[in-house]
Amino acid sequence: MDLLPTPEQEEIIESIRSVLADHHTIGEPASDTLWQAAAAQGWFGLGVPEASGGVGYSVVEEALLAIELGRVAVPGPFLGTILAAHTADATIRESVIGGTSPVALAEAEGDEGGLRVFDATDGGLALRLDDHSLVRLTGLSDEPSLDPLIRLSLSSGEAVASGLDPRRTSVLIAGVLAGIAAAVAEQSVSYGKDREQFGVPIGSFQAIKHRCADMAVRAEAATTQVHYAALALRDATTDADFHVEAAAVIAARAAIDNAEINIQNHGGIGFTLEHSAHRYVTRARVLAAVAGGLRRHQVDLLAANL
Amino acid sequence: MNLDFTPEEEAFRERARTWLAENLPSEDRPAMGQPMREFDLAWQRTLFEGGWAGINWPVEFGGQGLSDIQQMIWYEEFAKADPPFSLNNSCTFVGNNHGGPTLIACGSDDQKATHLPRILRGEAVWCQGFSEPGAGSDLASLSCRAEIDGDELIVTGQKIWTSYADVADYQELLVRTDPQAPKHKGISWVICDMRTPGIDIRPIETMAHTTDFAEVFYDEVRIPLSNVVGQLNDGWRVAMSTLSFERGTAFMADQVELAKVVENLIHEARTRTGADGKRPVIADDELARRLANCRAEVAALRAMTIAGISRTRRSGIPGPEASMIRLFHGELHQRVYRLALDVIGADAFRLTGVDGDGVWTGPYLQSFAYTIGGGTTDIQRNIVAERVLGLPRVK
Ligand SMILES: Cc1cc2nc3c(=O)[nH]c(=O)nc-3n(C[C@H](O)[C@H](O)[C@H](O)COP(=O)(O)OP(=O)(O)OC[C@H]3O[C@@H](n4cnc5c(N)ncnc54)[C@H](O)[C@@H]3O)c2cc1C
Repeated sequence: MDLLPTPEQEEIIESIRSVLADHHTIGEPASDTLWQAAAAQGWFGLGVPEASGGVGYSVVEEALLAIELGRVAVPGPFLGTILAAHTADATIRESVIGGTSPVALAEAEGDEGGLRVFDATDGGLALRLDDHSLVRLTGLSDEPSLDPLIRLSLSSGEAVASGLDPRRTSVLIAGVLAGIAAAVAEQSVSYGKDREQFGVPIGSFQAIKHRCADMAVRAEAATTQVHYAALALRDATTDADFHVEAAAVIAARAAIDNAEINIQNHGGIGFTLEHSAHRYVTRARVLAAVAGGLRRHQVDLLAANL
Repeated sequence: MNLDFTPEEEAFRERARTWLAENLPSEDRPAMGQPMREFDLAWQRTLFEGGWAGINWPVEFGGQGLSDIQQMIWYEEFAKADPPFSLNNSCTFVGNNHGGPTLIACGSDDQKATHLPRILRGEAVWCQGFSEPGAGSDLASLSCRAEIDGDELIVTGQKIWTSYADVADYQELLVRTDPQAPKHKGISWVICDMRTPGIDIRPIETMAHTTDFAEVFYDEVRIPLSNVVGQLNDGWRVAMSTLSFERGTAFMADQVELAKVVENLIHEARTRTGADGKRPVIADDELARRLANCRAEVAALRAMTIAGISRTRRSGIPGPEASMIRLFHGELHQRVYRLALDVIGADAFRLTGVDGDGVWTGPYLQSFAYTIGGGTTDIQRNIVAERVLGLPRVK
């Protein structure tokens, strides 16, 4: 029993961080070079068995990747692509892992078979969060998006594959949310050390200090539970469902609370479009609301067997 | 990262389960005084005879020399066995969880040889005399005085909030041995025999209707200098070691138990009729959400506890991150019992004891202590902010 990353996992995290640092600026759309680097690094097949064309790690390493993506609020269809790489359809899988078929996230909108889609590409694929199928999208019309870096569209789609594991989706979304919770905690701590008022760093005021301590605890709880859930899912333990739902609940709450408090800790600059603090708020809100959102995870968690 | 228990750990769990099923007392734990002391010591003796005392203490000091993971497994099996009492309330808590460990870390060979076996065998109860009326959160400002007279210290002053002082044999006592030195530099950590002449113990009733803690007055109490643990005037360092155990692993039993409490509470919410007189309590959306949140939080608490153990295993000592677990745990414990009072409806009128199955109001009242004792949550936040996150200190 050990819940800290192994040296090999530390290396994976380091390599992910350096790719993100080289190719991504928080608050900007995901660059093409980032997408290419991600494909070249094998991110899209990280947890797919080698026999199926992947790198051969597991959902645990995918969760570590999701946490890193959350930390720098990477927009774009990364998550859907990583998840869709587990499809049984070999042709689709190959193009997904290779990065030539980005996969959006989608769910039903209204009763007429319509979809709302996050980060869609025209004619591209989407992973439906409601029935765990892959669909090919037809006809996109864009909507104003709470998170301007997440393209929100209405569309419809035709199923091309099915049977993806919703628990993997939940763990990876929780991973992104835990990454957000951790990143904004760090943002507040570092601003608390730099920004001075009344002749001292604002981080010496207890109001700030205590908010930072609470943020750190929330982030730690979320991250650790995501690690645990990913391990439980990888090992197919009998309580895996329980731990996945627990991770989903705790990570969503941590991300929203921390991201919102982070704005307050920054004062006026936190309210600007220029500062990245609001990016985390809207990202957290979107990811905590998809697929029935926090409420559904709370219901499922109460129903899960321990 | 892995969730695997070694075959040895699995076997340990099996043995613990079987042993607990056969040896757990079935009678209720007396709430206070000598009967409580007898009950707690009898349980400690039973543990000792069964080979379960000092699970993670080194073998050379009479412990089992096992890992913190095995200690956690033991607590998990204990909680699962539906015990009629909570380990956290035991008057053996101080000796087992921070008095003994402090002696192991800082005590002399003589001190270890005299006291450690008696703690493990259930022959001695320890208490903690740190807090004073004028020195709570600001512990280092303590003023209980000790003057050197030959090979003795003469102690005069007062302690307060000393849990189980009325039933204790020994005390971890912090005294000021050099009033001229800066406040952290003139303190000594001494072993005080609670039966020494000049000690007056006055129990204080708590809001949970127990007399767990007391005021202790010292009137020229003579303590051999050989009872100083560590060096004279180096007591602050020794006290930090005590607090690292108290804030580190001491509450693991309660953290594990809390998961069971939440499951019991969910069961209550499913089986009790709610406010509408028809549907179960859990049909109330707000309560259901809060229950789900608590369930997620105790899961995360367990994961954090394991991560903490993993960290300690790598670095050798519990790091300051332990205070994150303490902070999370204290508030969560309180949240769970606040929620319990909302779940049990009209049963909230009835006072129960603090121990036992299906009791809620007693533990609810007791839960207020969880964000005060052992350093308040505000102090824990200061520690997390300054020592873990590196935010600036101000005087
Ligand atoms: C059930 C129980 C058992 C206990 N058992 C023992 C025992 O066995 N032995 C022992 O020695 N002590 C014991 N204590 C005492 C405990 O350690 C103290 O109560 C605690 O350290 C707080 O000190 P205080 O009561 O003087 O409160 P104060 O320090 O006066 O605190 C009052 C309020 O001010 C806040 N505050 C104080 N300083 C700061 C600061 N720097 N920043 C922000 N807020 C601050 C506190 O958080 C609190 O809300 C026990 C307490 C309880 C409740």
